[in-house]
Parts: sequence; structure tokens; C-alpha cells
Amino acid sequence: MPDLAVAVEGLAKTFVVRHKAPGLKGSLRAIVRPSRRDVEAVREVSFAIQPGEVVGLIGPNGAGKSTTIKMLTGILHPTRGDATVLGLVPWEDRRRLAYHIGSVFGQKPQLWYHLPPEDTFRLFARIYELDQDAYRRRRAELVELFEIEPLLDVPVRKLSLGQRMRCEVVASLLHRPRVLFLDEPTIGLDVVAKEKIRQAIQDMNAEEGTTIFLTSHDAGDIEKVCRRVIIINHGRIIFDDRTAVLKRQYLTRKIVDVRFHEALTGPLEIPGVHVIKQGTFGAKLEFDSQEREVQSVIQDVMAFASCQDINISDPPMEEIIRDIYQA
Amino acid sequence: MWIQLRVGVAKYGAIAGINLQNQLAYVWDTISRSTHIVVFMFIFTQLWGAVYRLQDVTEINGLTLANTIWYFLMAEVLQIGQIRHDTQITEEIKSGAIAYTLGKPYNYLGYHFSNGMGETIVKMGLLWLLGSPIALAFAGWPDVRLAHLPAIAVVYLLAIVVNFCIISLIGLMAFLIEDTFSLRLIYQKIVFILGGLLIPLDFLPEGLQRVAGLLPFQLTTYAPARLFVGFEWPMFWRQLQMGAIWLAILLGLLSLQYRWAARRLAINGG
Repeated sequence: MPDLAVAVEGLAKTFVVRHKAPGLKGSLRAIVRPSRRDVEAVREVSFAIQPGEVVGLIGPNGAGKSTTIKMLTGILHPTRGDATVLGLVPWEDRRRLAYHIGSVFGQKPQLWYHLPPEDTFRLFARIYELDQDAYRRRRAELVELFEIEPLLDVPVRKLSLGQRMRCEVVASLLHRPRVLFLDEPTIGLDVVAKEKIRQAIQDMNAEEGTTIFLTSHDAGDIEKVCRRVIIINHGRIIFDDRTAVLKRQYLTRKIVDVRFHEALTGPLEIPGVHVIKQGTFGAKLEFDSQEREVQSVIQDVMAFASCQDINISDPPMEEIIRDIYQA
Repeated sequence: MWIQLRVGVAKYGAIAGINLQNQLAYVWDTISRSTHIVVFMFIFTQLWGAVYRLQDVTEINGLTLANTIWYFLMAEVLQIGQIRHDTQITEEIKSGAIAYTLGKPYNYLGYHFSNGMGETIVKMGLLWLLGSPIALAFAGWPDVRLAHLPAIAVVYLLAIVVNFCIISLIGLMAFLIEDTFSLRLIYQKIVFILGGLLIPLDFLPEGLQRVAGLLPFQLTTYAPARLFVGFEWPMFWRQLQMGAIWLAILLGLLSLQYRWAARRLAINGG
């Protein structure tokens, strides 16, 4: 049995991208003299993941997260470098490895769109060569964990995005993968649906010791699910440490969007809180949660005027990465 | 070995089965997509009826008008109902869904064959159901003996497999180029003439008939359609031999192409 769940050494992927100048002239020139450019999606990244670890790979769009996952699942061949997943080279032993890993690509469906999820589950039981008893037991466990019993006989096209995503994750877990790759599993989901997926992933890791490798550009996924985080930008790893370290150092800033019932009559002034933008009925505020507690900031905002809606969020991933670069 | 075979049949059978269910989920849509065979068959019967009438013959190169009409039904059903996974592969790459289809423990082309068969069975069945009343009305019962049907079924299956291999060669080009539609168009036009879809190869000049007889395209359409309307054992064995040779060549090419293309796959959106 391999010591490491995932071992990556100097992994790189370069895509050749065709370029065309804008307009008709550009189109004609591209026919006569096509121009191509190499784009380094992943630049010699190295990391190792222990069995049972929950690791988040985060970064802005185009950072190389999905490409990394696709190389580790054997879909893409790297341009350079080595990697093993459960001791197998993914792009050489793709089929053998597929029995032991699972993957969820948040933006892509694997469930049959016009059929109920149950039909896809049965298909996957055959594809992964599960015996019928083992399949029924596993299905029952996952149906309970992800709370999808009422959804099993509903055609996928009738499900909400959050419901569909829970079923997508279940489909990827039927064969008890030892390593689960989740590529943006919460993208586009509302707060409740995100929370359900995150909780189920945590429970599964705790109960079954499944190694989880998760990509996201939502810092919330990482804070709630991962114990370790790798940040990738422009194909390079710029941070690889415990999530607690990231939170302590970079995820302390919070953004508050507030809408008031009545028009504001004067400038919003709260100690320790920076006003990014103020309108007639709303404002965007920023504060450091190490300097001021979230609860007290909200109390101050509510004391200032009657609130219609308040939303607290983390700064966008791009800003966190900028902070890391500045540090 | 038997266990492996059983597992394989269950796996690929389940893939075919789910697409079959998918087709049946919208059975009226599937039926409406097949109704054009009625128009095709009506036009063909009128066209070839006029040809035979104007020439004042009962047979052209061994084929009666009734033979020709049933030949066309068979040829059209085979071509319209064929597995067309090249567009699906192109879509998978464009949408990135290939991350799922390529990442499962099965043979990627085996998956597409089984998946395609699930659809083809429904499509071909419907095309037969809708097209045969027209053929019956204008040509009467086909001149086919029950004892020959199993042999014809073998050549029919061979046609589906050979066509699948050629379409796969086109589809896998999507790993390298943006769109394979132009290649499919070229293939379709070749099948029109050298496959015997537009006119039976028997009606072509002798030289062209000989060339067409050596190519794989006639296996996809002409061979099963011609055997259906005039079965001869020597022709059956000859087609089987040709099929074996071309399958070996096509599968060899596919294997090389797949290995080469998989290394160069680039998926949109990372």
C-alpha cells in the first residue's frame, strides 16, 4: 500500500493556444499566418497528500486548479513532471486508478439529464463492478448522509442545482473511492446547499477516512472543510500550509453588505470599520475580524439604522492572493 | 475469463440500457425525429418507379424495382440510424464533460459503442416500423428467406461496427481539432457513392464497382442491404472476409490514434 495518497513532483502542463487579431482582417491573417502561443496552465507544482487528509487547492479562475485535477485523474497528460495517486501514474493507469478514485466537476453533469438519479446510480454500480448487496448498502448510507431520498425518482432536469450537486457527489462515492477529487463542488450554490455539501464531505472524511482534494475559488469551502490549503496562481503554488495559518494571516478581513429600510442622512461611521462604498439606502463595509468581533460590528450597524438585509462575506480570492503576494 | 466476460457484458450492457431508457423517456420526440423516413421512402419509390418505367425494364443489373425499394429502406435505416458519436465526442471536449466520460473504468470507445447501441436500437427499430409500410405498399413483401435472416443480421451488425470504427476515427480527431463536422460531411458523401446509399453499387460502372467493393464503405450500407434483397452464400462469405480485414485495419488505426490523441487532449476551461 502506498504511503502517500497523492505525490506530485514538478508537474507542468502547457497548452498551445491559437491567437487571432480582432476583426475580419485578423481572421484573414490567421488563415494565412496562424499564430500560436504556449500557455503554461500549471508550472512545475510539487506537493504530497497523506491518506485521510482534506486538502484544498484554491486560486482565481484560470489559476490551473482544474488542469491539476484533470492530470491527477488521468484525463490530461502532463507536459513535464511526475505524479502518483495511490501509487499509480494517473495518465498511464487511468482505468485501474478509476476504481479507487472519485471525481466531481461542479460545472459538468454526469447524471443522465432526463432520467432520475437512481438510474445513473445503478449504471455506476455496474461500471464500477459493485455486487448488488454492496451497492444497496452503500446507496442507503449515502442517501441518508446527503439527504436525497425524495430526489431519487425525480428526473434530474427537475432538480435544483443544489439537489443535483448532492446527487452528483453521491454518484461519485458509490464505489467507496479512497481519494475524492472535487473540482468546484459548490459553484453556483446557495448558502444552504453549500453548507449541506460541505457537511457531508466532512462527515465522509471523518467516518471513512477518504482523502479529499478539493478545488474552489470560494474561501468558505476551504475554511469549513479543509485542514490544509494550497493556493495556486498563474500555475504556481504560492501558499501551502494549514488552513488555520491561512485564516490567521489572510482570512481575517470581512466584507459587510448592508441595506437599510430608510435613506441614510449622514456618513456611516463605526470604529474599526472601513466604509468602502456608501449609497442612499446601503453601504459596503470592511473590517478585520481580529480587531473587531463580527457580532459587535453587526450590532453597531443595526444601531446606526434599521436594516433590511445584511450579508457578510470573505474578500474575493483575487484579493487574498494579492495580500499573500504583498506579504 | 468467464467472470470477466460476464462483468464486461453487464457493464457495457448497462451503458446501452441507460441510453435506451433515455430514448424511451421522450418516445414521441424520438418518433418524430424518425418520421422523415416516410418522406424519403415515398420519394425513392416514385423516383425509381419512374426510372424502371421509362427504361421499360423489370430488372436493372439483377435488381427488380421491388428489390431496389427494399434495398433503399435497408440502406437508409442503416445510415440514418447509425451510431453518431463523433458529435458527442466533440461536445464532450467543448463542454469539458469528457472529464467524466474518460475518467471511468471502461474502454472509452467501448463506452461510446454501447451508449450508441442503446440509441441505435430504438432509432433503427422506429425507422423500420415507419418505413416498411411504404415499401410494402409499393413493392410488396421482400424476397427474403427466413433461413437467411441470421446471416443477414451478422452482416448488419458488421455494418454497424465498421461504421462505428470510421466515425470513431473522425470523432477522435476532436482531441486535436475544434470541430470534426467537415470530416463527417466528407465521409457521408463517400458513403453516398462508394457505400451504395444513393444508388446500389450494381448500378455503377464496372470499374467503380470493383474499387468500391474493396473499400470499407460498402460494408456499412451496400453489403447488408444487397444481401437482404438477394441473398447469396458466396457474397455473404466474401463480405465477412472483407469485414474481418477492414475491422483489423480500422481497429489497429483506432488504437494508434487513441494513444496519440489522448496525449494531446486539451479540454476547454481547464
